[in-house]
Amino acid sequence: MDLVIDNLPFLFKGAYYTLLITVVSMFFGLIIGLITAIARLKGNRFFRTIARVYVSIIRGTPPLVQLVIVYYGLVDYGIELGALTAAYIALSINIGAYVSEAFRGAIQAVPAGQTEAALATGMTEGQAIRRIVIPQAIRISIPPLGNTFVGMLKETSLVSVIAVTELLRSAQLLIAQYYVYMPFYLSIAVMYWILSTAFTFILNEIEKRLSVY
Amino acid sequence: MIQANDLSKSYDQHEVLKHISLTIPAHQVVAVIGPSGSGKSTFLRCLNGLETITGGSVSINNHLLKATDKKKTRLKTIHEIRQDTGMVFQQFNLYPHKTVIENVMEALIIVKKQSKSTAKTVAAQLLKRVGLQEKEDVYPSKLSGGQQQRVAIARALAMEPKIMLFDEPTSALDPELVGEVLKVMKELADEGMTMVIVTHEMRFAESAADRILFMADGQIVEDSEPKAFFAQPATERAQKFLAKVNEF
Ligand SMILES: Nc1ncnc2c1ncn2[C@@H]1O[C@H](COP(=O)(O)OP(=O)(O)OP(=O)(O)O)[C@@H](O)[C@H]1O
Ligand SMILES: [Mg+2]
Repeated sequence: MDLVIDNLPFLFKGAYYTLLITVVSMFFGLIIGLITAIARLKGNRFFRTIARVYVSIIRGTPPLVQLVIVYYGLVDYGIELGALTAAYIALSINIGAYVSEAFRGAIQAVPAGQTEAALATGMTEGQAIRRIVIPQAIRISIPPLGNTFVGMLKETSLVSVIAVTELLRSAQLLIAQYYVYMPFYLSIAVMYWILSTAFTFILNEIEKRLSVY
Repeated sequence: MIQANDLSKSYDQHEVLKHISLTIPAHQVVAVIGPSGSGKSTFLRCLNGLETITGGSVSINNHLLKATDKKKTRLKTIHEIRQDTGMVFQQFNLYPHKTVIENVMEALIIVKKQSKSTAKTVAAQLLKRVGLQEKEDVYPSKLSGGQQQRVAIARALAMEPKIMLFDEPTSALDPELVGEVLKVMKELADEGMTMVIVTHEMRFAESAADRILFMADGQIVEDSEPKAFFAQPATERAQKFLAKVNEF
């Protein structure tokens, strides 16, 4: 226990990276997901196909494989990314696919009458989507997005394999130094749990805030 | 003015509107009645491009929309047509995430590019006109059906349409709320608005409309004055329909 307390700053630094990777990937994942969802629902055949293939590939391959392709694989083509950058890219692309599925479901859940009412007042299709459909879809998508993000938080442990010192790797480094396992593994488990719970709490608050109507 | 020329609409093999031709002059109030599935909604929605016509043409205030138009031309014409038409739906379709006044302001800001404060003034006036000035800041879910439909009418009027299209505006309402919506519509009619109203309210059709269109099987089977129509419809279809309606 003392060992853990002595090394808390180091573990907190790991937690910081875990959180950073989660938040950054979430941010870009949201953008990618929204664009992909709209491409799938409203794009022409070309964009629809691209979006569909993207989602299919990401959902059909392990995130670890995606990560090593970005970090190690791209080196063959002269693209050498920093470990953190590779983590951001791989995880954003990964989560974007799942986010797009959540958004797609949510957009489809907004009744067609909403778009029709907007179009009837003279809005273009794009204006109707931006102003009327998306705001409603975002609220609908929060519960599934919440699940995606908490999953994401846990998945960041994968990036320990490319030597980003997030939570899991912090523990591994400490273990290598002190030759005891359980205290460190247990403490990071607790930290993951706290982070997930905090995330869920924040998302619930956002949902409440958006539920004024 | 509304003109339909040989207007047809099919879904795949299923022909829903069959070669409809008619002219509705400005300021006329037309009630469209007929059995379920006869194509009333489809006809109305073809007038403002919510459905794509598959044959013939529609002209709204000289914006001519032809079935043969290329997509780009079609979108442009439909956009112009929608500047001149307002539509009210059976299910109101108010934006649930916006307050009553925001519902009315939305198109003013987005389509007409008005400033927020101008839009707000206009919207407030319209809400007053439909008797809902004290509901400006509530969300639609807090309103009765009749109030929601009046907001929907105000929202459509905000764009200063020359033509108003109504698709069964009172069918989703509790009976005691029908009157307040019909009253607003009657006022509009009296002010000279051109209106096409799909309705099951026969008494309203008789008293407020200048003209009755009776539709069956995708065609306009009768086109007559309300008095004449309700006294004695010319066709057997219409006679049967009225007999059925009057059972209730
Ligand atoms: N999107 C669609 N795809 C296929 N068929 C459709 C579609 N929309 C409507 N139809 C068909 O077109 C016909 C006319 O429908 P429409 O809604 O215009 O009838 P209506 O006269 O408005 O009926 P109601 O009084 O029930 O509202 C119906 O047979 C309906 O099944
Ligand atoms: Mg209908």
